[in-house]
Amino acid sequence: MPAQSSKFGPHPHRDTNHGNAPNRALGDRLFVAACGAAVVLFVAFIVTLIVADALYVDARAVAEVLRSRHIRHALWMSVWTSCTTTALALLFAVPIGYVLSRYRVFGRTFVDAVIDLPIVFPPLVAGLTLLVFFSQTSPGRWIQEDLGVEFIFQPKGIVLCQFLVAASYAIRSVRTAFDDVDRRFENVALTLGCTQWQSFRRVTLPLAINGIIAGGILTWARAFGLFGPLMIFVGSFRGRTEVLSTTVFLEQSVGNLEVALAGALLMIAVALAAIVAIRLVGRRGQLGL
Amino acid sequence: MIRTQNLTFAIGSFRLDDVTIEVAPDEYFVLLGPPGSGKTLFLECLCGLRRVTAGKILLDGRDITREEPRRRSIGYVPQDYALFPHLTVRDNIAFGLRASNTPRTSIDTKVREIAEMLGITHLLTRSTSGLSGGEKQRAALARVLVLQPRVLLLDEPVCALDEATRQNVCSMLRRLQKDLHLTVMHVSHSLEEAFSVADRAAVLNYGRLEQTGSLGVLLRKPTSEFVARFMRCENILEARASGIPDEDASLLFIESLQLRVRGRYEGAVKVVIRPEDVIVGSAHELPHPTAFPVRVSTSRDFGGFIRVQLAGPPDLVAHLPRTAFASLSQGPIRARLLPESLAILQMTS
Repeated sequence: MPAQSSKFGPHPHRDTNHGNAPNRALGDRLFVAACGAAVVLFVAFIVTLIVADALYVDARAVAEVLRSRHIRHALWMSVWTSCTTTALALLFAVPIGYVLSRYRVFGRTFVDAVIDLPIVFPPLVAGLTLLVFFSQTSPGRWIQEDLGVEFIFQPKGIVLCQFLVAASYAIRSVRTAFDDVDRRFENVALTLGCTQWQSFRRVTLPLAINGIIAGGILTWARAFGLFGPLMIFVGSFRGRTEVLSTTVFLEQSVGNLEVALAGALLMIAVALAAIVAIRLVGRRGQLGL
Repeated sequence: MIRTQNLTFAIGSFRLDDVTIEVAPDEYFVLLGPPGSGKTLFLECLCGLRRVTAGKILLDGRDITREEPRRRSIGYVPQDYALFPHLTVRDNIAFGLRASNTPRTSIDTKVREIAEMLGITHLLTRSTSGLSGGEKQRAALARVLVLQPRVLLLDEPVCALDEATRQNVCSMLRRLQKDLHLTVMHVSHSLEEAFSVADRAAVLNYGRLEQTGSLGVLLRKPTSEFVARFMRCENILEARASGIPDEDASLLFIESLQLRVRGRYEGAVKVVIRPEDVIVGSAHELPHPTAFPVRVSTSRDFGGFIRVQLAGPPDLVAHLPRTAFASLSQGPIRARLLPESLAILQMTS
């Protein structure tokens, strides 16, 4: 019954424009049309590029990419390093984002600026900075040589490089997600018998989960497609430190454009599948938090 | 019993200043005040969400000023109920029990019992997003009452509800308080709400406690102009007083009117009289020597009474029953102020 639907749940037409759109003057219609045109243009631009790539690649190149042991290894490296980086980034982003959102910490402006810095680093600078630290400074050499934790030209270095460049995106997103959770929910949880940790785990975290997922997607996407800093810090050794993005670069640099494009399409397909899957899982609230 | 002793809390330029309130066991106490007077802050201090600057909070004689919110045994229902939007009604109610590691079977039983008591059993599986204001309110109450708190704090519990639901919810609150022997502190800016539920009340004015007492006392014997205005007393008249030698009585001079009242007052005073206590009648009905001539300046029908603006001197507002107003339509009229209906505020300067 229509009466019940409006009283006990969202009205089926509440968020749509059918039948309840206000009368608009010509200027307002032009404004809406301009906004719509921007959406159409942008989506068309991206889709056209991908379609152009797909049309350029023939079945042989795709088969070669899928059959190549090196490319499969590079894909695997890309997936596991970017997933590890995302997990590590969120491990840091959740407590950092919570502190920045909830407490007026001393030197907050400075901390904010430092956290944002990697976002504006030119990618090559990030790689160079890591290389200089681990090869030219005492603490870096101590970690590499005395502790035996090697990063330069090692798979571990891929994760470190991706972490440096991508973690800031996670922190920003997670902080915004916590900002959006009304603090009164936490306060009520405290009066209902929760400790601060219980209130965080049972109230704040579940309410911020969509923002945290968004941060994870951003971080993963940034890490998955990272290229420049990796070439400097870990190189691109076949079967060792080669990831899909460096494969694409190497293939096109030797003139193997079709294989490079097939690799690029593979990256796009994996990224698209991952983003859609994570969003669906997040929407259904099946993360068990 | 909950008692605050000289409770002080400062945030920015606002200050809850030296607030001392005592709520007896099983008492329904209403803290009144206009928006921005610090009512919510006061409740947050009581339940431990704000660290007080000075003073004490005592629960049954035990000092809980520095205790964590979860150890205070104080239930708090915030203004818009703050039901957790990611949980169902059942999980909201069970939230506190789970936090205290209550066994699952016991949780189920307690949730069912409290839901039955509040008439929300049919809502248990629902998400909180589709609930009406009244349903949300009962769910939030159930979430708190299931923990059997010693004191229940309600922050404007009915202000988000429609007029018709308000009275029902107030009746329900009062019934729950009686049945469960709860000590309740309810904050509100609404006099109607206070009259529906309160045993006693207090008025807070920008962080300062103005007066505590029964609603009758607050209505008819306000101790400050703020309380008089807050209790909607529209007649606050400037006057001069002079103590009568050797008697506990004074003479009041309100413009050309002279009245003898009990108590000693000197110099500038303000005289407060409620509109419903102003006696108005035709000249032959009020032959008393202290009655004075007035005329009806304006009148407006408020349904239950007629609000009449009387031109004096002194100018007054009276609330008259419809029949009494009808009898005024012809001939000269007079008004009379009974000395026992007056509240007199001695001005310091």
